[in-house]
Amino acid sequence: MEQTSDYLPRSTRYYHITKRLQPWFFNAALLLICIMMLLPVFGTLITSTKRQEDVQKNPPVLLPCDTPQHSFDITACRFVLEGYNRIIDSKPDPKSLLGIDLTGRMVSIYLPNTLLYAVAASLLVTMLAGMSGYAFSRFRFRGRHTLQVAILAITGIPLLTNLIALYQIGVFLRKAMPGYEERIYLIIVYVGFFLPFSIWIVKAFFDTIPVELEEASFIDGCSPVQALFLIVAPLATPGLASAFLLSFVGVWNEFIAGYLLVSRNELKTAMFGLYDFIGQFVIGYQVLAAACIIIALPVVILFLFTRRVFFRAMVEGALKG
Amino acid sequence: MAGFSHFNSRNPMAAPVQAVHGTQSLSHKKPRIRQSFFSRTLPFWLLLPTLLVLAAIQFYPGIYSFFLSTQTFQAGKQIYNGTRNFERVFNSGSFGDSLYITLFFLVGYAVLTLAVAFGVALFLNRKLRLSGMYLTLIFIPWVLSDVIVGLIFRLFIVPDYGLLSPFFANPFLFGAPNGISILTTPQPLPIIPGVPFPPAPALLLLILASAWKAVPFTTLLILAALQTVPREVLESSSIDGANGFSSFRFITFPLVLPTLVVALFNLSLTGINGVGMIFSLTSGGPGTATETLSYLLYTIGFGQLDFGKAAALSVFMAIINLALIIFALRISRTDIDRVERA
Repeated sequence: MEQTSDYLPRSTRYYHITKRLQPWFFNAALLLICIMMLLPVFGTLITSTKRQEDVQKNPPVLLPCDTPQHSFDITACRFVLEGYNRIIDSKPDPKSLLGIDLTGRMVSIYLPNTLLYAVAASLLVTMLAGMSGYAFSRFRFRGRHTLQVAILAITGIPLLTNLIALYQIGVFLRKAMPGYEERIYLIIVYVGFFLPFSIWIVKAFFDTIPVELEEASFIDGCSPVQALFLIVAPLATPGLASAFLLSFVGVWNEFIAGYLLVSRNELKTAMFGLYDFIGQFVIGYQVLAAACIIIALPVVILFLFTRRVFFRAMVEGALKG
Repeated sequence: MAGFSHFNSRNPMAAPVQAVHGTQSLSHKKPRIRQSFFSRTLPFWLLLPTLLVLAAIQFYPGIYSFFLSTQTFQAGKQIYNGTRNFERVFNSGSFGDSLYITLFFLVGYAVLTLAVAFGVALFLNRKLRLSGMYLTLIFIPWVLSDVIVGLIFRLFIVPDYGLLSPFFANPFLFGAPNGISILTTPQPLPIIPGVPFPPAPALLLLILASAWKAVPFTTLLILAALQTVPREVLESSSIDGANGFSSFRFITFPLVLPTLVVALFNLSLTGINGVGMIFSLTSGGPGTATETLSYLLYTIGFGQLDFGKAAALSVFMAIINLALIIFALRISRTDIDRVERA
């Protein structure tokens, strides 16, 4: 093209140049957008690796690399894991499995609680959404449309407006029921709130699986229940997985129900632990930043590995439901 | 729930089931094939756990909040007091202020998010080799919790030590005496008396933080819509002499518009009900400058422990939510009947 370009009319040459530069332009622009979007995250990462003295500098410094002589000296950078250490607070313990004992409340109490609630609630959501999604997708019965619309409408009801009533019910149950378990109540509340959206996603996935497969299994003597568990569920794994993952992230990041519906501090969630830190002014900002990173890291990694499932489910769920 | 029939005759699945039992078709005049009670009512059993959970966690608390909103709590006893709670909510000055703050927040949040997301989606729609990576990176804020996003933004503007504090301590921009942090700067004097127009800087920061979290999801929605715009139509329009702007204006935009409306409703719902970010970013302050309706509900219910009044406010908010979602269902193409027919 370089040889012929002299003979090309001016506008065509211009066209060729722009055609070649365009991808570079868009790549650069998108890279800039990504950096802008991730700027707060980078800032938090940097803050979390500062020392207490560097966090409390006025005027603040971006990187902890200043010396009395120079404002920036790469050899003088002081990146430490002090903030993380104060969250994890590990102490040597010969009796435990790894030789150390994690004594920080965040990692020993709040994060395991959150993990328990998230796994239990999302497993239940996936199971129930699978069953009702199958019913909506494959059966025709009276009231089916009404039920579907009702469940869709429930999606829009937030946790917040039911919270006063749920709180009062919790208080009542605690008094009235001898074997009342706050954790089970909280998990059921989470299931109730993440179920409607999941049903919708799972039903959409079931609709894409051809019924012929089930027909074949019926001829071979399967019952509908067997067909659901042996034929349809394995094929709908992506849909079920997306319901699981969306609920998992939802429960992991939920704050207000975990804060209000559980009365004992040792049963509360990581978000409560974080909120609790904000109130403690003795704690440095680098500790807060490190706590944010530690809590967010599991779901961010989970998301990075399963992003395709997330994207598909979100587009399906939002545009159809 | 007595009316469950088994597989419908319109469903192609029905035929083989009958073939096994040796009947030809399932018209209503012919005797029904005998199935056990369990398999005849199978959809009911499949739906039963879901219905129980939804009844216990969604339906009953909804009714119960309505009941609570007519009660007053005195000395540990509940007394019926009709619509007194509603009157107390609507007549209180904090409700009006909060409603205005919520509306301002919603408008700012929706406009900022939609504008940024639309721009990013247009860039991503170029189908570059690295588009997937860019989308993934942009999506990271979506995975973060409200509380964490609030805290991240708060760490930037803490008095004296935050990275952006020098900017917000600027007396020309954010008022002289109390301009240490954006979170303590009070609302400026209104331009028109009585209309609280220039909002407190903290509210603007709240809008920024919320939009930051909401941009990824909105971008994904708009991108999905942009990818359904047929290429042939765009090409033929450019052959017919349309420039980039007019083919965007007359082809792309109208095709994406329904998705924008869906995204708008999505944003309104999350914006009205979001409370975690206010907790960690501003705690409703300075004063009540960032106290949206959802945060007001929290303070009335769990700060003042006035459950009757809080229940009244939550009934009001639930009605707004329901109205929004029903409206969204009606106008968007999510209408179930149309999905079914398609």
